[in-house]
Amino acid sequence: MSPRPRTLLVVVAAALMALAWSVAARAQGTPQMQLQMDADTVGVGDVVHVQLGAQSSDAAPSDPRLTLPAGLAVRGQSTSPTQTHMNINGVQSDRYGLTVDWTVQTQRVGVFTIGPASITVGGARFAVRGATLHVVPAGQAPQRPAPAQPPPGSPFTFSPFDPWKGLLQGFGQNFPQPPDLQPPQSTQPLTTDPKLSLDAPRAAYYFLHATVDKTSAVVGEQVTFSVYEYIDLGAQTAIEVDDSDVHDATAADFVKHPLLREDQDALLAGYASIGGRTWLVKLVRRWALFPLHAGDLAIGPMSVMLARPRAAVGQRTTEALTVHVTEPPVAGRPPGYALGDVGHFSLTAQVNPRDVDQGGAVGVHVELSGTGNVPSTISTPAREGIEWLAPEVHEQLGGIGHENFGGKRTFDYVVRVRRSGDVSLGELSLPFWDPDAKRYDVARASLGVLHVKPVASAPAASADAPEETLPGLPPPVDTMEGEPARRAHLDDVPLFWLLGVVAWPVAFGLAVGATAAGRRVTQAWRTRSASPAAELKERLAAADAASEGSDARQVDAAVARALEAAAMAHAGVNVRGALGGEVAERLARAGVAQDAASRIADLLRECEMARFSPEGADVASARDRWIRARGAIRELERRA
Amino acid sequence: MRRLLCAMLALIAFAIVAVSGRAAHADDGETPSALFTKGVQALRDGRASDAIAAFESLADRGTVDPVASYDRGLAYAMRVRIGAEVSGDLGRAAHGFEEARDLTHDARLADAAARALTVVRSEVARRRTRAGEPVEVDAGRSLARTVSSLLAEDSWCVLAAVCSAILAIGLFVRWIALTRRLRVGGGVAAGLAAPVLLLAVLMALAARHDRLEVREAVVVTPGSRPSDQRGIVVPGSTPLPEGARVEVVDSRDTRARIRFGALDAWVPESALREIARWP
Repeated sequence: MSPRPRTLLVVVAAALMALAWSVAARAQGTPQMQLQMDADTVGVGDVVHVQLGAQSSDAAPSDPRLTLPAGLAVRGQSTSPTQTHMNINGVQSDRYGLTVDWTVQTQRVGVFTIGPASITVGGARFAVRGATLHVVPAGQAPQRPAPAQPPPGSPFTFSPFDPWKGLLQGFGQNFPQPPDLQPPQSTQPLTTDPKLSLDAPRAAYYFLHATVDKTSAVVGEQVTFSVYEYIDLGAQTAIEVDDSDVHDATAADFVKHPLLREDQDALLAGYASIGGRTWLVKLVRRWALFPLHAGDLAIGPMSVMLARPRAAVGQRTTEALTVHVTEPPVAGRPPGYALGDVGHFSLTAQVNPRDVDQGGAVGVHVELSGTGNVPSTISTPAREGIEWLAPEVHEQLGGIGHENFGGKRTFDYVVRVRRSGDVSLGELSLPFWDPDAKRYDVARASLGVLHVKPVASAPAASADAPEETLPGLPPPVDTMEGEPARRAHLDDVPLFWLLGVVAWPVAFGLAVGATAAGRRVTQAWRTRSASPAAELKERLAAADAASEGSDARQVDAAVARALEAAAMAHAGVNVRGALGGEVAERLARAGVAQDAASRIADLLRECEMARFSPEGADVASARDRWIRARGAIRELERRA
Repeated sequence: MRRLLCAMLALIAFAIVAVSGRAAHADDGETPSALFTKGVQALRDGRASDAIAAFESLADRGTVDPVASYDRGLAYAMRVRIGAEVSGDLGRAAHGFEEARDLTHDARLADAAARALTVVRSEVARRRTRAGEPVEVDAGRSLARTVSSLLAEDSWCVLAAVCSAILAIGLFVRWIALTRRLRVGGGVAAGLAAPVLLLAVLMALAARHDRLEVREAVVVTPGSRPSDQRGIVVPGSTPLPEGARVEVVDSRDTRARIRFGALDAWVPESALREIARWP
């Protein structure tokens, strides 16, 4: 290829690249910009405030610049970055804002063009056209309009979180508020932020609302806690908060780092529509909280006292919040991980000098940077013959863009080397849990090798060497012992207690008990079998059996014995051997009715006579006596 | 054709890379034996911090092994010895040795752990002497626990079973024997067996309770002061000795109630490290 076409090719490639860059830059979207002044005609020596407002949905605007002609001078500049992140139905939209206020002093009469003003968004610079300022001789400038009065009931000047604002305004300075801090003008439509909306206002006129960006986290992971104040813009009365009665939220189980400066005014978060009313929402607290341990950790409420209007005086508190905290998973946890090291970290280290005499020292400068719970210590690679002295620690930590906490810590170590030769210092490593990637990572910094020249009188070799610490430690063991074979302990088995310990005494007890019981049963049996009732039963059965037979004497004998047994069983009277009227008499004495007693006595006499009669009795009459005797026995039984 | 071949090769290469990447990701965690080897090597090389990291990682993964505990104790002790001591190293060293002594079935390892423990506790005692604090580092065990540990748990069980049998047979003989001699013999046997049976049963239950219920820990921070339940330091108390073995009776929130000799107090849980037991 000839040189000319090659050059042409390079030019075309460069043009294409430039075009691509330009397209990429444009693809980010042009930010919305507006340049305003608080006056267009001022006198010489007067101060005018030039305000640039920029909004972008791609990246945060930065690096604001204002071009001023000769005759005007910048006396001050203040910037207020803002961020709004919304997630509506899963669609994420971000909004970054920047408000810059330049204080410009006029130096001579003339007509000046202020600007253009420009900002950088995502590496591309965008500008807005300038405005014209007329500077007239001192004292000839028209009276400036008074600053806009706050709407009735607006607590802008009463906010406990920006107490100096009212004081500064009291000096008569004309400090214009940034556009987003100005009360809404009737001509401007107010845009409410759905993200700031609530189901219902938590109180009338003014209330506080607290949120956390996540309700579950691991130990050491940043939880961003925010408190917003909501001010009813439609209130027709003054709203005043008692700034001496403000109680911050408590978070004892967290390490707390404010993400807003202590002296910073409450930031305008936007406007919210709640309960059909429009509320001004300001961010009054934003903390990065780092959980100290696992569990359900509580964040207590913040409270302020509303002093006016009188009808609504009372305390306004935020919600009490809870964060469920766990430990990062054990699986995949790198060696040396310390609980609580969570975030994104990087390590760099510098060792100087590399050549040193034995017993000398080198400096090791370590920089640990990142976002999250930046560890306050680093584990140094302790090795024999290398002594790491306590480091000098410097830190630059704070909020990064109101959202994250982080920064850097530097550790300056002095390392004493007692060995000689090429001594490896090893490697610094910091394992940490990356909450976004949900995995462990390790920040590393290699320290390299020192070249240590041997010195004969090095401290390690000298007789003045300090006394050895922990002398006589046994050597390490190289092989793991392993878990012993699991075996059940005897006392874990209920059968052991039953059969091994309890069974023997129980067996003896059973034997003794069984013997005693046997004795008792026998005794009872004997007693029972000798009782009048048992005898009666026996006699009745015998009489029944005899009445079935053909021997009248046997029937009569059985009937007589049954009657005697019945008298014994039911009346407790022994009539055996009684003669004549003695039977009836004995029965009557025992309480048997006279006729019944007589009947029994008669039956006994009849039986006696029939048994011992020489001619004998017939069976039919004997059976008849048995039937009558049974009736008499039943009568006795009923009486009993 | 050639393009197709190139495309296929590229696809295969991509698949291999993807699979190996996944395999590498899955293999992020080292095996316990690899970690142990790494720790022992670091210990032998004098790299105390690396050894500690390896052995602690092993413990984090739930690996319980007396040798790992013993070597971990040595790693902490080495860090003290080489002058790179981090606060709490002596306590953690004592913890490793106590754990090894409790877990091991190897008499030599138990002996080595006991010797190392003596060395570490001597250093703690020396430092406490310098600080004007009581030298007592080991409060010992209660009488019941000492007696119950005289025999193994199963030995107490066997003794209980034997005594139970002797008691029953003695009573039986005394009951049924016809001769006076036999009756007296049975009575004496039963009379001796009954108290021994009671003791053996109590000791077996105590040993079982010890095994299943008692939690013990080692104090791993220097200067940990005993306090009451509200966190107020017990008046006149001295800091618990680093490396002391204590019984953990209760724990609430981030505090633990401990017994150390006659002392019954609360300390932050972070000041203690529990002694592992076989699962």
